[in-house]
Amino acid sequence: MTENNKYWRGIEERSNPELTGKLAENEFSNEVSSADFLGNDEVVESKTSRRDFLKFMGFSTAAATLAACEAPIVESIPYVVKPDSLTPGLPSYYATSMFDGMDYASILVKTREGRPIKVEPNTDANFNGNTNARTQASVLSLYDGARLRNPKVSGEDASWGDALAAAKAMLTDKSVLLTSSVISPALKTAIAKLGLRHVSFDAVSSSARLNVYEGFTGKRGLPTIDLENAETVFAVGADFLGDWGGQNLMAAYANRRKPGKGMLRHLQAEAGLSISGSNSDVRIKARVSEYEAILAHIYNRVIAELDRSKLSAPVRTPALRQDIASSVEAVATELISAGSGALVLNGLNTENAERLALAINLALGSKAFNASKFVYTANGNDQAAAELFADAAAGSVDTIVTLGVNPAYQTPLVDLTGVNIVAIADRQDETTSKAKVTLPVSHYLESWSDFRAVDGHYAVGQPTISPLFDSKSAVEILNSLAGGSETAKTLIQESAALHAGSISWNALLHDGYVSTTAAEVSMNGSMDARMIDLSVIEVMKPQSGFEFYTYTKTGMGVGENANNPWTYELPDPISRLSWDNYIVMSAADAVELGIEVAAESNGAMTGNTLNITVDGRILKNVPVWIQPGQTKGTFGLAIGFGRTAVGKVGNNVGVNAFELLPSFNVLSTQVSAAASEVEHGFASVQLAHTMMGRKIVNEISLPTFMNISHEKWNEKPTFETYKGPLSAFEANLWDDHDHETSHMWNMSIDLNSCTGCGACVVACSLENNVPVVGKEEVRRHRDMHWLRIDRYYSSEMTAELADENGIGAIEKYAKMEIPSESPDVVFQPVMCQHCNHAPCETVCPVGATVHSREGLNHMAYNRCIGTRYCANNCPYKVRRFNWFNYKGNEKFTDVNPSQDDYGRMVLNPDVTVRARGVIEKCSLCIQRIQLGKLEAKKDGRMLTDGEFTTACAQACGSNAIVFGDVNNPESEVSLLKQEGRAYHLLEEVGTQPSVFYQTKVRNRA
Amino acid sequence: MHYESPVRNSLILGDKSYKDITNDIAKPVESKAPRAWWIAFSTAFVMFLWGIGCILYTIGTGIGVWGLNKTVDWAWDITNFVWWVGIGHAGTLISAVLLLFRQKWRMAINRSAEAMTIFSVIQAGLFPLIHMGRIWMAYWVMPIPNQFGSLWVNFNSPLLWDVFAISTYLTVSTVFWYVGLIPDFAMIRDRAINPVQKHIYKILSFGWGGKAKHWQRFEEVSLVLAGLATPLVLSVHTIVSFDFATSVIPGWHTTIFPPYFVAGAIFSGFAMVQTLLLIVRKIFKMEDYINIEHIEMMNIVIMVTGSIVGVAYITELFIAWYSGVEYEQYAFLNRATGPYWWAYWAMMTCNVFSPQFMWSKKLRTNLIFTFVISIVVNIGMWFERFVIIVTSIHRDYLPSSWSMFSPTFVDIGIYIGTIGFFFVLFLLYARTFPVIAQAELKTILKSSGENFKKHHDEHGAH
Repeated sequence: MTENNKYWRGIEERSNPELTGKLAENEFSNEVSSADFLGNDEVVESKTSRRDFLKFMGFSTAAATLAACEAPIVESIPYVVKPDSLTPGLPSYYATSMFDGMDYASILVKTREGRPIKVEPNTDANFNGNTNARTQASVLSLYDGARLRNPKVSGEDASWGDALAAAKAMLTDKSVLLTSSVISPALKTAIAKLGLRHVSFDAVSSSARLNVYEGFTGKRGLPTIDLENAETVFAVGADFLGDWGGQNLMAAYANRRKPGKGMLRHLQAEAGLSISGSNSDVRIKARVSEYEAILAHIYNRVIAELDRSKLSAPVRTPALRQDIASSVEAVATELISAGSGALVLNGLNTENAERLALAINLALGSKAFNASKFVYTANGNDQAAAELFADAAAGSVDTIVTLGVNPAYQTPLVDLTGVNIVAIADRQDETTSKAKVTLPVSHYLESWSDFRAVDGHYAVGQPTISPLFDSKSAVEILNSLAGGSETAKTLIQESAALHAGSISWNALLHDGYVSTTAAEVSMNGSMDARMIDLSVIEVMKPQSGFEFYTYTKTGMGVGENANNPWTYELPDPISRLSWDNYIVMSAADAVELGIEVAAESNGAMTGNTLNITVDGRILKNVPVWIQPGQTKGTFGLAIGFGRTAVGKVGNNVGVNAFELLPSFNVLSTQVSAAASEVEHGFASVQLAHTMMGRKIVNEISLPTFMNISHEKWNEKPTFETYKGPLSAFEANLWDDHDHETSHMWNMSIDLNSCTGCGACVVACSLENNVPVVGKEEVRRHRDMHWLRIDRYYSSEMTAELADENGIGAIEKYAKMEIPSESPDVVFQPVMCQHCNHAPCETVCPVGATVHSREGLNHMAYNRCIGTRYCANNCPYKVRRFNWFNYKGNEKFTDVNPSQDDYGRMVLNPDVTVRARGVIEKCSLCIQRIQLGKLEAKKDGRMLTDGEFTTACAQACGSNAIVFGDVNNPESEVSLLKQEGRAYHLLEEVGTQPSVFYQTKVRNRA
Repeated sequence: MHYESPVRNSLILGDKSYKDITNDIAKPVESKAPRAWWIAFSTAFVMFLWGIGCILYTIGTGIGVWGLNKTVDWAWDITNFVWWVGIGHAGTLISAVLLLFRQKWRMAINRSAEAMTIFSVIQAGLFPLIHMGRIWMAYWVMPIPNQFGSLWVNFNSPLLWDVFAISTYLTVSTVFWYVGLIPDFAMIRDRAINPVQKHIYKILSFGWGGKAKHWQRFEEVSLVLAGLATPLVLSVHTIVSFDFATSVIPGWHTTIFPPYFVAGAIFSGFAMVQTLLLIVRKIFKMEDYINIEHIEMMNIVIMVTGSIVGVAYITELFIAWYSGVEYEQYAFLNRATGPYWWAYWAMMTCNVFSPQFMWSKKLRTNLIFTFVISIVVNIGMWFERFVIIVTSIHRDYLPSSWSMFSPTFVDIGIYIGTIGFFFVLFLLYARTFPVIAQAELKTILKSSGENFKKHHDEHGAH
């Protein structure tokens, strides 16, 4: 039985049964007929006129249009499936190696969201796990907008297939492959497969030195140096802390220069002041033409003192100049007494010089000289290159394939007009622009490659990003030219299978390198002091006139990063000039030639230029810098500059030294010079070069350090108060911050280890997105570096001397400003000292710079209104002001990476790019501190010492910079703080810095 | 009635009646502008526009268009700031301190001196604003409740004290000046024929009726404001000097700065008053009111304060030597013998040596000489600030950071612009305001007027 139950949809329906019907009626609206509508009086009387309607419609359209006009949206597409290894916001590190024809480094590449943004040293690696300024800067070269986008044939864009076909068609048995030094086994295989005549040469050549070792061992390599075993090192023209020898000796040097018993003694003879010379204990101002004679004199002394019967006869050698003869004798005496602890390094690329150095090392039985392990980073052959160029001029070469060389720039005197060029290059440079076919090669961070830089070390280079442009790895290009079709990865895997031993592919990629056991150099017994017959050699005769040589600068090197603004902005550690190369000359020569360099009213340095003729080749209006420590009569000029087709950054910066002295030559003595009317403006970051008798870099001698209590030579300032004498940390007007509860970040900078190399400066710029401001702004003393390395020369005038001779203050200070002609050099990295009683913090009207409980001085960019009061009141002058909108102002378009779509990719996403009108400064890498603390917190553990460090400390090859928590009594930095050498810069000002320095100790009486 | 010794010189020359005073002082407001005024005004206006252009360029492009660098972060901006504040000192000193000390000779000059004060403080106030890297955030220096959480201004910062000192000073000076103007505006209102002019002055004079009650209130308010303004005379430049004195930079960190700055400010302020009034009295033919007596008085003030400043310079040098602090010693040696020696010696010559001529009565009553010295003093005082600011910071603690400073066209343009702006204001003032406080002046006509003094001499006191 069914009941007709009634259900209501709601209480309303029940109370009002008609509602359902009404609602149903309204569900579909009735059509209103037009007659009804038009007849409706209400509509006619409506206040909305047609005019109003049009107005509203117009407004709506306009509003909708305007609302649609947004800034172009740069799409960012989220991952649909998150890759396992990638967490947005967290960096990934990849081990790889870089080699650019000069520098070889085992590195870790930091990538963020797939972009490589920083290069760190791979300290686990068994060779060159160390970065210099150029290695640090190299990551920006990846994002260089001037790189080739795709292959070209006869200047027209082409596909890889067409370009390779065109290149192959040009290759005959008269074709030549011209490369820089090749250390990649895979590349060598590809070259062999290609079957062309292969010539390699290096812009900074070691060819003659290599010939010596090749003669003995059949290997074109240079002996390695075990600096750990050295007691006394004597370098003749060898900047072994700079660019000499392919082996990074910074760490070993710093280790052996720890003050105390057995501290390495460093003697140097050189023409121009180098980084090594600046760090030496004794420096002899020699001419380049005297290098061989110096070595010969030392050799003769050595064999005279040692058992003569075992050794060959003395070398016939010209007499030494009066000024240096006794110094050289003293060096010889020291080396002989050091015996097997002695080490002689030669920087002159002649066979005689190398033979002499080798013979001395062998005769003394130098333990530091390791001739059983060779380094191959420079293995070019100048004779082969010279033969090639002669053949090319004679017409017996039809095509030259270039890889990693730029003959049009590096050997501008060679005529290659009759030769077809196939360029494997990364940009349309001086050579590439003449090429018939151009094959774009990938940056090392996009490439597969492998390396055998030194015996016992095999490394692979892996890409950390897919190629930005249509480029390929060098090994793949050569293999394709040889007819192969394998990918670069396959080629490297094949090569690794042959060379890497039993290590798995994944482990190899993880570590980046593998130690291989087999020593490659076979000592066939011939390399022995007795076998080196030196009685027949003709030692170079010292010259008395002007002589000209070339050298490499720390930032530029051979110029592989010549379109990289960081390499230009980094001031030369010695001259403190950026954005230039120039002839370095002694003050005496400058007077003779009528050259003056002086500051203008705004502090910008301007000087005369020089018209110089070298071997009949003239270069006009070359800038001249008067360099203390330069040997009289010698002119040095850095290579790598004067590019004409490298990109917007590097074009026409400086002059091309190769136009005067091609890369094969070591020296010219056919030099004449005359001052030119034209003036040149320098970008100098340091105007005063001496310490003016102030206690800024504390320096003592080794005997003082060993025998005298540190209270005597590292006296702390005290203040007489009503409470009795108080230290600068006790005499206070302010309340102290709480430094016990939390971490207390401190930094120790060892002035004894710092060589001044500048790697930290570039690393800091990378890590902290420091803007590049270009020459004109640096010239006006507006460099933005958060970390600078001050360089001071000693002066002949001292406070003691003035007191003794009754010299008045005015004369004393005037003379103190003048650096000595043979100065001692000190380097002092200075960044924000993170004062615990910071003068900057009290003066900011808006509290934009404040103190943290962890001993840091914070800078809140957002809050800064830019009064610059803090910068004025900073005794260390480390605060930098954003004078312009560096990321937008047209003036900086060419130089500042953050103005370029590619360059922007290098910016560290953890650090703000600062706005115009705010102050910025070192934060002790607060982003790293925060990340480290967060990681520890997530893991629920205490922070361990050394878990993270600042960018500068990480980049420092000599471990001069140590960062850590002094509230952790076991941390390295807290131990360093207890050292007798520790002192605070300008402690007497009462700023109580968190950064402290270690007194420099020179190993001399 | 106030009795005045017959040996005192007359302060109002000529046979003046009250009506003469009214006529003389109302004349520049009521007559057409002389040609010289138009020339001066156009020149000042062009300078002003040029300055505006330079300021806009700075704000649009960045402080980088100035000649500053990483070491010298302040130069002409703060030099000009302190210079203009210093000039602004004389007005309040004359109208407030001299009022309290009952110096009747102030009456002829206080109005213009105070106008000068206000106009120069306006110039001064510009610089702390435009020297900011982000001027659009300038309001952050005010302790305003905000939405940034607990963000507050930093009360430790002398720059913040400056904000308060300058704004207080400007406010009090303006009020004081305006109160003094009320009876004079009423006088012009009553004489005005043009209805528009009459209406404007009617508003400006606040319904002044000249009743006894009005005068009583007027006197009381003046006295109270004088009492308020007097400490400001000392405080403003003391606080400005704290910008430097509380820092750690050798040459800035100097305890003598507050009195030294105040003396210097009065020195430069009086010199500026001299410069302006020597022109005003000539152009508006007010030699009878601003006469040699006034000028001599002001020259004496200049001489005394100039000597105080000189003592301060020498004390600084002595203390630098006596302190034994190497940095301090070098800072002062560098001032006198370093790259900016010319600025130091320009300062010494202009500020210390040149006012010493005023010991001679013949020279201090010579109008041309006074005019020249008044300009020399202000050049010297500009150099003083430049020397203190630039030569101290261009070579401070670490020689590695030593630098130099050279102004760009923008630096110079802004400075010229403020001079133009100042004269635009002053010239407009001279044409529309009674340049002498005639109401006050009339109170001394019967004690210090020449005819009344003569009358006394001839007929005895009674």
